[in-house]
Amino acid sequence: MKFAPLIWAGVWRKPGRAILTLLSIVTAFLLFGLLQGFASGLNQAGSQTRADVLLTFARVSQIEPLPVSQAAQIKSVPGVAAVTPVVLFTGTYRTPLQLVPAFAVDIDQLAAADPDLITPAQIQAMHAHRDGILASSLIAGRYGWKIGDSVPIRSFQWTNRVSGGSTWTLDVVGVHGGAQDDFFKNITLVNYDFIDQARTTSQGTASLFVLRIADPNRASQIGGAVDRLFANSPHETKTATQRQLAQDQLKQIGDIGLVVNEIVAAAFFALLFSVGSVMMQSVRERTPELAVLKTLGFTDGGVMGLVLGEAITLCLFAAAIGLGLAYVTFPGIRALTGFGIRGGPVMGVGLLIAVGLALIVGLPPAIRGMRLSIVEALAGR
Amino acid sequence: MESAVEPLVSVRRVIKRYKRGSESIEVLHNLDLDVAAGEFLALMGPSGSGKTTLLNLIGGLDRPTDGEVVVAGEHIDGLSGGELAKWRSRHVGFVFQFYNLMPTLSAERNVELPLLLTHLSGAQRKASVAAALELVGLSDRKKHKPGELSGGQQQRVAIARAIVTDPTLLVCDEPTGDLDRETAEEILGLLQLLNREQGKTIIMVTHDPKAAEFASRIVHLDKGALVDEPAAAA
Repeated sequence: MKFAPLIWAGVWRKPGRAILTLLSIVTAFLLFGLLQGFASGLNQAGSQTRADVLLTFARVSQIEPLPVSQAAQIKSVPGVAAVTPVVLFTGTYRTPLQLVPAFAVDIDQLAAADPDLITPAQIQAMHAHRDGILASSLIAGRYGWKIGDSVPIRSFQWTNRVSGGSTWTLDVVGVHGGAQDDFFKNITLVNYDFIDQARTTSQGTASLFVLRIADPNRASQIGGAVDRLFANSPHETKTATQRQLAQDQLKQIGDIGLVVNEIVAAAFFALLFSVGSVMMQSVRERTPELAVLKTLGFTDGGVMGLVLGEAITLCLFAAAIGLGLAYVTFPGIRALTGFGIRGGPVMGVGLLIAVGLALIVGLPPAIRGMRLSIVEALAGR
Repeated sequence: MESAVEPLVSVRRVIKRYKRGSESIEVLHNLDLDVAAGEFLALMGPSGSGKTTLLNLIGGLDRPTDGEVVVAGEHIDGLSGGELAKWRSRHVGFVFQFYNLMPTLSAERNVELPLLLTHLSGAQRKASVAAALELVGLSDRKKHKPGELSGGQQQRVAIARAIVTDPTLLVCDEPTGDLDRETAEEILGLLQLLNREQGKTIIMVTHDPKAAEFASRIVHLDKGALVDEPAAAA
């Protein structure tokens, strides 16, 4: 610690240059923190899914509707405990950024499939109000919805036959919670019948079926049996666990992640050259000063340590700022996406990269400092 | 100069050659020199005579090509780079023509630098720094950086840095070469004070005969060899 003032003074020897270098490192680590945080959130989203829930979509495309009558056939497959037809009803609240993930469901079938999610009183309230909405606690908290509020939802997909537009005005009749890994935990629920009758297209269809199975170990056999049921029909299906589907989606996102990682890697690679050249220039300018330190008794290793210490201080300090800035945005990203971002590991990896970066950029000037001859340096040669 | 007492510095048959490209240049030729403890020696001579080279050898900044350099009984010509660095930190204080202070550090931090290599605590280092700055009359400027000090004040800080570890020997390379006459005399007076009252052994390279007059002995070097040893001037 007694060398800290000497190292710190070396970092700030040219304040203008130090600030610019610092900013470039801060920017790179802010980018790294944000992207890695987002990626870790995506991975978390995939890992928190339940193994006893299967999703059935149309084989040709996940946006292709399926006849709601398939629910009864699916229910007949051995091992299927409950089936819920679902219409995707996701939209926005007052502004385009106020996302509301929502499903239109048959509330009784949902209660059978997911008995811990909603209370009997909430089921009754949904029966009593065809245009009722059962908000997830996340959405209710975010937008301040209370029971009795009338909320406009602007649907991405469905036109309201009554209003003639995409806005659906619904009454909040309850707020549901649920276990951390509950499929419907963050989903706001509306009545399937109401939506199905009022929408202008696709009546009598579901976007997907949510199946609960008794034995998660037989998920692939049960999924296969469901899909065989509709093989060679106009409405072939693809059934998989939520985890498998999430992994499929993550694989696509993973490709994007690969590109993003390559961008971050390119940024760090460029940083190597810019910070490396700044460090080299800084040491070259201070050749007489380093020679004086050696004259006073600093060993070759000691001078090398000082220069490396400067590189590590600069990189760690800047990285900590960049990662810290990213970290403070995590709650916002978490609130916006619902992803459980694991900030700690991202910060840890970021700081390790900072140390690695410091060693790579600091080593050549440190070796130069270590090797310099006192006599030659003091003579200005 | 022969003395019955063991000299503090003993240079014996020292040869120093430098390589410049394919050429080998001999800067010091079979040189002998003794410096007694408590002496203030001025090393004079024209440019290129080998003064600084000799000073570097005595100060342990360089090694002779041949011959011996013994300081306080230690053969420093045989020490490794690391050993020599440690030896310098314990035994030698350096004062340069252009002060060579760290521009980003305050006067007290500059003076503290050699103490960072010791096992002294922060409080002990602080006390030693305060004493050294007091001795050179700069206690009130300890927070100032070199750029905020005059040339004479900077050289005083450099002297404080040189004496803060209480070294055996002070080596000064043209310590007044960058100063006006009045300031130079103040600095030389300070060195003389350190020699007379603190008993510091000082070896000073200078071009300036007036500066050399402050020394107790003057040695002339020409073309890598001692040419005479005039009597003490002060």
